Amino acid sequence: MKKRVLTVDDSRTIRNMLLVTLNNAGFETIQAEDGVEGLEVLEEANPDVIVTDINMPRLDGFGFIEGVRKNDRYRAIPILVLTTESDAEKKNRARQAGATGWIVKPFDPTKLIDAIERVTA
Amino acid sequence: MASKKTAQKTLSLAPVLDLNEATALHEKLIALKGSDIVIDASAVERVGTLCVQVLMAGAKTWEEDHLSFTFSKVSDAFEKTTQLIGVEIDHLVAKEI
Amino acid sequence: MDMNEIKEIFFQECEEQLAELESGLLKLNDGDRDPETVNAVFRAVHSIKGGAGAFGLDDLVSFAHVFETTLDCVRSNRLDPGPEVLKVMLKSADVLADLTNAARDGGSVDEARSRQLIKELEALANGEVPQASAAAPAPVEVVAKPVAAVAPPPVSNEGFQPVAFSFDDFDAAEEPPLMEMPTYEIVFKPKSDLYAKGNEATLLLRDLSRLGEMSIHCDMGALPTLERLSPESAYFSWKIQLATDKGEDAIRTVFEFAEWDCDLEISLVEDEATQSGEELPMQPVPFDLSILDDEPAVSVGVVEEEEQLASRQQDIRNAAVSAAGTASNVLQMAQSAARAPAEKAAPAASAAQSAAAQQAAASAGTPTIRVDLDRVDRLINLVGELVINQAMLSQSVVENDANGTSSINMGLEELQQLTREIQDSVMAIRAQPVKPVFQRMSRIVREIADMTGKSVRLITEGENTEVDKTVIDKLAEPLTHMIRNAVDHGLETPEKRLAAGKSAEGTVRLTAKHRSGRIVIELADDGAGINREKVRQKAIDNDLIAADANLSDEEIDNLIFHAGFSTADKISDISGRGVGMDVVKRSIQALGGRINISSKPGHGSVFTMSLPLTLAVLDGMVVTVANQTLVVPLTAIVETLQPEASAIHSFGSNQRLISIRNSFCPLVDVGRILNFRAIQANPVEGVALLVESEGGGQRALMVDAIQGQRQVVIKSLEANYTHVPGIAAATILGDGRVALILDVDTIVAASRGQSLKPEMSLAAAG
Repeated sequence: MKKRVLTVDDSRTIRNMLLVTLNNAGFETIQAEDGVEGLEVLEEANPDVIVTDINMPRLDGFGFIEGVRKNDRYRAIPILVLTTESDAEKKNRARQAGATGWIVKPFDPTKLIDAIERVTA
Repeated sequence: MASKKTAQKTLSLAPVLDLNEATALHEKLIALKGSDIVIDASAVERVGTLCVQVLMAGAKTWEEDHLSFTFSKVSDAFEKTTQLIGVEIDHLVAKEI
Repeated sequence: MDMNEIKEIFFQECEEQLAELESGLLKLNDGDRDPETVNAVFRAVHSIKGGAGAFGLDDLVSFAHVFETTLDCVRSNRLDPGPEVLKVMLKSADVLADLTNAARDGGSVDEARSRQLIKELEALANGEVPQASAAAPAPVEVVAKPVAAVAPPPVSNEGFQPVAFSFDDFDAAEEPPLMEMPTYEIVFKPKSDLYAKGNEATLLLRDLSRLGEMSIHCDMGALPTLERLSPESAYFSWKIQLATDKGEDAIRTVFEFAEWDCDLEISLVEDEATQSGEELPMQPVPFDLSILDDEPAVSVGVVEEEEQLASRQQDIRNAAVSAAGTASNVLQMAQSAARAPAEKAAPAASAAQSAAAQQAAASAGTPTIRVDLDRVDRLINLVGELVINQAMLSQSVVENDANGTSSINMGLEELQQLTREIQDSVMAIRAQPVKPVFQRMSRIVREIADMTGKSVRLITEGENTEVDKTVIDKLAEPLTHMIRNAVDHGLETPEKRLAAGKSAEGTVRLTAKHRSGRIVIELADDGAGINREKVRQKAIDNDLIAADANLSDEEIDNLIFHAGFSTADKISDISGRGVGMDVVKRSIQALGGRINISSKPGHGSVFTMSLPLTLAVLDGMVVTVANQTLVVPLTAIVETLQPEASAIHSFGSNQRLISIRNSFCPLVDVGRILNFRAIQANPVEGVALLVESEGGGQRALMVDAIQGQRQVVIKSLEANYTHVPGIAAATILGDGRVALILDVDTIVAASRGQSLKPEMSLAAAG
């Protein structure tokens, strides 16, 4: 069975890069444009893993992660955060919000897949 | 051949035993306390540490109660994962007679 | 989708982000302190940086990074976005736009300027707020260096090869003899948080086992009985021995995501004695872990990948088609909803509808879909056909149903109404707010203000007014020129303004609104107004008017639209590029628009442009020339008149003039110019259309008769037939006849002695 990845990012460029990378690697990819949409599609997407950006309109990555972790059905899903640089402060906040791991942007496709493999069964 | 058939209960485990399932599994086991129990782990596709902890705590509790706690069938995934994390279940698995 | 397409998407997105950035900064400049505005500005720069990084656009990344850092100071309230700070930020936004363009098109950027701004941004981030009185930055050496458009980025191209997930780790672990590999002892005690955050000890141990030969002991000592167990707490901990040649870093990497949420000790086991001296019962972990990865997540075959990609693209297409289907459903619903009230109070309802549409466009939350422009254009074409077809049907029914009261007739009227509504709605799909163009103008104003040392405030109104995309695209150039002109020539220097009792800061107001089916754009400045004496003198010097000509103020003002007219005493860098207001007027006319000026000495000038909302239909006058039906764009026609014999003056072999209110105007026989007839028609038997064209010259076009005015659907001749000189396009009339739409500019040019050569380029509408 293909693993399902939900990506949440407001940048069309990054969304497309994620889509190409993940599809090439054999994942099924569902995409949302911000935290609000991410939470909305959660049930429909029923992902095995989530990849989310931090800076987004409406609901940022921190809020989105907290939302997922508060959701009784989906709180166990591993969440990887996309951060632009290895910003310790942002990583920390993401962790506190409940992030499982992180990927540094601009992401290297191999590392992205690697990180997803690491947090999924 | 099983010798005692009195008050033996069976618990079938869900395919995915993740964080969410740990609490449910915990409640189910507590509800079955006081009887011999046979756990059917044949459907398990994925098992996380928390559920293994619950099951092992169950085994411990049943042992203290001098009741039997056995796995009737285990899936490959269940067996491989417990083996991987160094949790010995061989002595709990019902042997073919 | 390949890398180039994503890159194209990136640049499109950059454009949107840059617009977002600028409008946010301008809001801040107007005193807006909404944190969401600051956030949006920050996000825009952040997003550009993120994408640029992915494509290895290093110049863009480094500038965006500095900019972002400074914006972060504003976001965290460490830097107050006062006017001087915003000045730097607005300039930085301009540089960011330049860098983006350079990355896309390979143009050059002003390196010195961007270096200077990096310095200023860094100073701001360091808490050095510039003084308002600070003089212009020290002159910097201006070196424009071309930036390679597709500088081979270090990662990008290689970066998107199909990901090869390597299982080498397994093989490698098997090869070297165990004894030679260093052995590590790892103590791993997860905390409850580790599980709460979606990490899983089983997966960490799985990854660890892949590094080499692993023995494991699980410590269950902390595990309570069931009653006292909290199911989501961590009780297990592990002691692991791992023989691996991958090094400690590889082990730490496995725990990278978990290290805060567990106790982790890693130590190298020195010798075998210690190893074998272990008392703990260790379980060797089997190698066959295949069950844990329920399937290799990576498809290895290239063919398969392509298939997946292809099917994905198909999915996307299908989705787009169904989205388009939904859109048309929505359209239908909206129309049927609009129809009900339209029966009683059509104008009011449609006004409300358009107001609602504008409001909807203004609110960010409205869901939108992206549709290929080709699809929209195809739809517009089809609707054009529908309109024509409906008109033909109506006409033939009218011809065959003399009393005109049958139910067919009533149905047809309804059909006509519906067709018109569909047409309007379809046109509305191509309509876009003028906002992007207006936003670009604020940069122009800043640049000119800087160059001229004037202080200017640009106020825009009606940014959400919508007009056809083509009109918007073609509007930028004339508008830019007019804005330059307004700041350079219209506004006075701060000293002169103060002396005249005005504020030192000049105001330029750019307004858009809809008025009777057209868009009206006004550009007003509060400068000195047109110096009529000077204009008049210049016109006399340039032989545009007679020295004793008696002109109204309005006529004098409009002289500035004459070719080659410039009131600036010396040619300045800004508006003196050999481009005058005549060019502006011509481009507006090419769009089927009109422009005029009104000016009050001492109070400023107002340029008013009126443009059609779409280029797909045209208001035309249907005329007959040598038994042919032609359409003349209404915008070109100043007036129509019935020539009297006494007003016609012949000279030369076949030149004729017509006198209109004491001035003479060349008479052009359209039929002769287009070779519809061999000899000139008698003007007295026809009608003269007074037209204005390129350079403001007037001509009287002779046609045989006027049939009426109507809106026609423009059909490009070039697409269906071939380019015909003197003809801009064609249309199909209600009776099914094809009518040619006259290209007035070319006809007038031809009448000046230039012949209509096939290669002559025509300003084909649309």
